[in-house]
Amino acid sequence: MTITIAVPGVLRDRCGGAAELVLPAPSVREALEQIERRYPALYRCVCDETGSVRRHVNLFVNAAHVRDREGLDTALVTGDVVTILPAVSGG
Amino acid sequence: MPERVIICIGTRKGLFVAEAPKTRRAFALRGPFGPGVPVYAAMLDTRGTPRLYASSCNPFFGMKVLRSTDLGKTFKETTSAPAFPKDDGRALANIWSLEAGDGRKDIWCGVEPAALFRSGDGGDSWEMVPGISNHEHARKWQPGAGGLCLHTIHRDGNRVHLGISTGGHYLSEDGGSTFRASNRGVGAGFAPDPYPEFGQCVHKIAGHTDAPGRLYMQNHGGWAEWDGPGGRRPDIGVLRSDDHGHTWRSIARGLPSDFGFPIVVHPHDADTVYVIPLEPTTRTCPGGAPAIWRSEDGGASWSRLARGLPKKQSFFTVQRDGMDVDELTSPALYFGTTTGQLWMGRDGGEEWSCLFDSLPPIHCVKVVVV
Repeated sequence: MTITIAVPGVLRDRCGGAAELVLPAPSVREALEQIERRYPALYRCVCDETGSVRRHVNLFVNAAHVRDREGLDTALVTGDVVTILPAVSGG
Repeated sequence: MPERVIICIGTRKGLFVAEAPKTRRAFALRGPFGPGVPVYAAMLDTRGTPRLYASSCNPFFGMKVLRSTDLGKTFKETTSAPAFPKDDGRALANIWSLEAGDGRKDIWCGVEPAALFRSGDGGDSWEMVPGISNHEHARKWQPGAGGLCLHTIHRDGNRVHLGISTGGHYLSEDGGSTFRASNRGVGAGFAPDPYPEFGQCVHKIAGHTDAPGRLYMQNHGGWAEWDGPGGRRPDIGVLRSDDHGHTWRSIARGLPSDFGFPIVVHPHDADTVYVIPLEPTTRTCPGGAPAIWRSEDGGASWSRLARGLPKKQSFFTVQRDGMDVDELTSPALYFGTTTGQLWMGRDGGEEWSCLFDSLPPIHCVKVVVV
């Protein structure tokens, strides 16, 4: 199944300037593993050394936050869009 | 090329670089580099072609190391930043110190949670130093208010001194392969045992090549009024060692407070040392009147330096890496404040002036003459 990763502008220099990455992945975890292999600098911005998604980074599958689905085990189907977004901040 | 004074100013909103001729009459300011991202550590490397390094501690996207090869006109990220091994279970939360190693491209890096990394290629790749990072005490260290950080790396030949908050002083005498806690005489006010083997909240350690074996330490003081178990613990905040850090003794008598963060040694006189005493409860200048205190006899006595500094209503903090001194014949001290001011004290701190008064809160100040 082919899904799309939407990359925020602040991280696009970590994947050759691409705003979107199209790749086959049956789950969010598998999508992140592919990012780690193909774009390690991007992966390091999204996940820490333990493999956890960074505290202030949010992952959405279409409009749903993965924490409201099955986390990294959230299943993906063809056409899904996984959006990487930094959390809102102030100060 | 005429001599230039370069100051790296790490702030909560990025790195700034100030540059002036050696007259230090007018500093030009560049930056912010890594805009919006806190910078806790900087290093000005004059081995060979000068290079500037800075940590870029992004709470969203993780830790990076910035490097400049044009004296701070531009910065790029190094190829990689320190990272714990995948199966370690720890994740890097901050980069607190960058220090030059032996080889021309060797760099040492202290991080949070407290651990040590080394690079042999100018910061492009890093390896964890297991002798301290996996020390048997490591999982027992506790974070202080600033986090559990390895903030000081002081090298003296084969000896390596580390300051960890809160872990204490650790000493290696084999070039960094093995470390042991070396805190005899270093007090703690926040534990029932006033002199534990380890766990002290060391704030900064400094030394001078002309006085091998001598070290100065700013420890977490401010416990003179403590009335809990173990009793009062006055004067444990400012210390000196004369045996390579094996034992420590207080040199705090004469200071208005033994609490503070930075401690700096005069570049041409190992007996002259500077501290910035702070109120222990507020961590701000005593009485709202900031002053640098100088000892010219290795800590036996202290004098107050405040000419040009505010005389009242000034309540800033100077953090552990917020003060440095240049190496010109008549050196100037520099300190940055949590209120975003950068001060310079000519003639070893005799006369102070504010170089910049509206920067973001300042975490670190490092100066070099190139």
